[in-house]
Amino acid sequence: MSNYQSTARKKRQNLIIVEGNHEKNQLAELIFKCFPELNIKKEDVWIYETNIYLLYKDIEDAYGENWAKDNIDIDLPFVISKKKNPDNLQYKNNFNNIILVFDYERHDPYFREEKILEMQEYFTDAADNGKLYINYPMVESYLDLYQLPDNDFSNREISVSLRPGKKYKTLIKEKSIVASKINFLYKLDRLLERCFHVRDVEKRKKCCDKILQLSSKNDVEIFVEIVLQEAGAQNIAGEKNTLINWVNSQEYINTNQTYWNYVRNILKQIIWHNISKANKIQFGQYQIPANQYKEYFERLDLTKILEKQNLASRDAVTGFIWVLNTCLFFIAEYNFKLIED
Amino acid sequence: MLKKFTLENYKNFKDKITIDFENIAGYQFNTDCITDGTISKMLIYGKNATGKTNLGRALIDIYTTIFDGLRYVDTGVFLNADSKDNTATFSYEFKFASDVLLYKYTKFSSQELKNEELYINGKTIFNYDFEHNNFIEINLRYIDAETANTSTYLQSADIEDGGDLQGVKLPFLRWLISNVALSNDSVLIKLVNYIRKMLMITTKNAALKYPRKMNENFYEFLEGPKRLTMLERFLNEMGIECKLKLRSLPDGQKELYFVHEKLVPFYDTASSGTLALVDLYKRLIPRIWKPSFIYLDEFDAFYHYEMAENVMNFFKKNYSNCQIIMTSHNTNLMTNQIMRPDCLFILSKARGLTSFNNATDRELREGHNLEKMYISGEFDKYE
Repeated sequence: MSNYQSTARKKRQNLIIVEGNHEKNQLAELIFKCFPELNIKKEDVWIYETNIYLLYKDIEDAYGENWAKDNIDIDLPFVISKKKNPDNLQYKNNFNNIILVFDYERHDPYFREEKILEMQEYFTDAADNGKLYINYPMVESYLDLYQLPDNDFSNREISVSLRPGKKYKTLIKEKSIVASKINFLYKLDRLLERCFHVRDVEKRKKCCDKILQLSSKNDVEIFVEIVLQEAGAQNIAGEKNTLINWVNSQEYINTNQTYWNYVRNILKQIIWHNISKANKIQFGQYQIPANQYKEYFERLDLTKILEKQNLASRDAVTGFIWVLNTCLFFIAEYNFKLIED
Repeated sequence: MLKKFTLENYKNFKDKITIDFENIAGYQFNTDCITDGTISKMLIYGKNATGKTNLGRALIDIYTTIFDGLRYVDTGVFLNADSKDNTATFSYEFKFASDVLLYKYTKFSSQELKNEELYINGKTIFNYDFEHNNFIEINLRYIDAETANTSTYLQSADIEDGGDLQGVKLPFLRWLISNVALSNDSVLIKLVNYIRKMLMITTKNAALKYPRKMNENFYEFLEGPKRLTMLERFLNEMGIECKLKLRSLPDGQKELYFVHEKLVPFYDTASSGTLALVDLYKRLIPRIWKPSFIYLDEFDAFYHYEMAENVMNFFKKNYSNCQIIMTSHNTNLMTNQIMRPDCLFILSKARGLTSFNNATDRELREGHNLEKMYISGEFDKYE
């Protein structure tokens, strides 16, 4: 027995700061699962739910109101842990990624163009102080494609008077082609619970995982029963075939891919659409030559885009917000090769 | 320039370890770390006892092999202590203009060769087996040395090489360059000139106070015109404000002093950092030739971070064509302001030598804060 070492510093952690919303956590989990190259382990992710203006205030309280102007070195894990969990202080030096994901909520009574601009200008590096991804009008915009490819996405905008929120989400659910493709995961989970009475969340997750790893009809026939038995499912004999037929009707099985690979390809296409859209907002051009996505992507500036969005949406009656998802850009920034064919 | 170095079964390196100086990424900043498509300024980090010093010893082994065993006396265990193999392998690939040379040898110990090979542009020049004392292959025509009387070499099985080397056969390359008249533009001459100018500088002992007579040559050098002023300026520019004076003592010896109200003996009072810096100066500046290659082990062990930066920039500016490998624990130098991800390396026991850009899936950019990323574990898998 030796007593030489004190508690080791835990490195390689990740902090995701979002608005209180369960769905956003799901998206993050999906991304990490589809892109293992990001090296983000689920157990090393901290999710902190707040509102961008509350966060702004926390930063102000910790570093003074001139933090942005003076370009002070902000340590978000410290600010947050000091407030939430002072017995277990965290420091950014232990974090590989700090990602801030917020909705552009113009109608929020606390909305201030200057504050949100300051935040956008300051938080530009996920591997250092953190990177802010503002989504227009909200994170769900990643689902806002009606077909693939969807050239009309170029002009897709939301009127400010709609005061996006539930209405926008409902709108997307009706029209999105992406949502149904991605949602299979959640439907499968529900099915296992309801039809096969797998009550244990972890067991269900494991079972889902295994089914989603299958990539051919043949494998589905063979393995579904085994996987169900392992999970302690009931009604296997009666409901097995319904499940097999349902899985076999999925596009991912019919294109001989695992579900994760299939969703990965969809996410890539979503990112391409949003690079085009961001380019349109910043530079006025939607079409990008196929081999120049990377160059165009590197020219994008989230602050400039925010300024354009601010300008377009300022009028409460005629104003509009360009639909744009930026949080998926994290993948392209991490390594552009991840979204190339 | 040295393009590639491969080592196996030497000291703590049981498995093969390679430095590929041509493995660069297309960064458009700090291009002064690259010379002719080859890394010329390399900075190696690594936990303690991963072999940073041994790697330098290994690289400089070619000097000992071709010239003498005196400048870099190798003490300690030569072969890897966990391996059953009885030889260590050294392989050096050079490029001079358009010619590519591969010089490769295996050794039983620091002095005793098992095999020695030389290839130029893919052609075998020679391949010598020391155990059986014969050439497996030889083709000297390609280097215009077909007239060399190799039988003299073959007969010299117990050639004397002075001192401790008695009974050990000379490397054939060493014999070749001293027994054959090669033209000045011969690629072998270029090779030998490169090897001759290879240096390893260890800062570890620099702070020790040498006996005065070890400084005699240096004092003699400092007596030359403006030389003391040059040393002063060097120290000042690196961050040490001081004024120096060299004085002859009654016994005819010389001594270096700091100039204050009174003279203060330099070597008795200088700080570790100052001693290390003067030691570096002493090893570099008085030479009439510029080194081709320098391995600077723990070069900034005694330096303030600003001085480390200054020294780094001094090398970049004044030794632009020299291939310099520095090792350090100073993470402040892990920055794209001075270096670049393909010139920053991590040496680890398990993963060998990996450049930063190859130690993460993340695309490293100029704006990235490499030091923070290193500390938060971004490159952990390779550390």
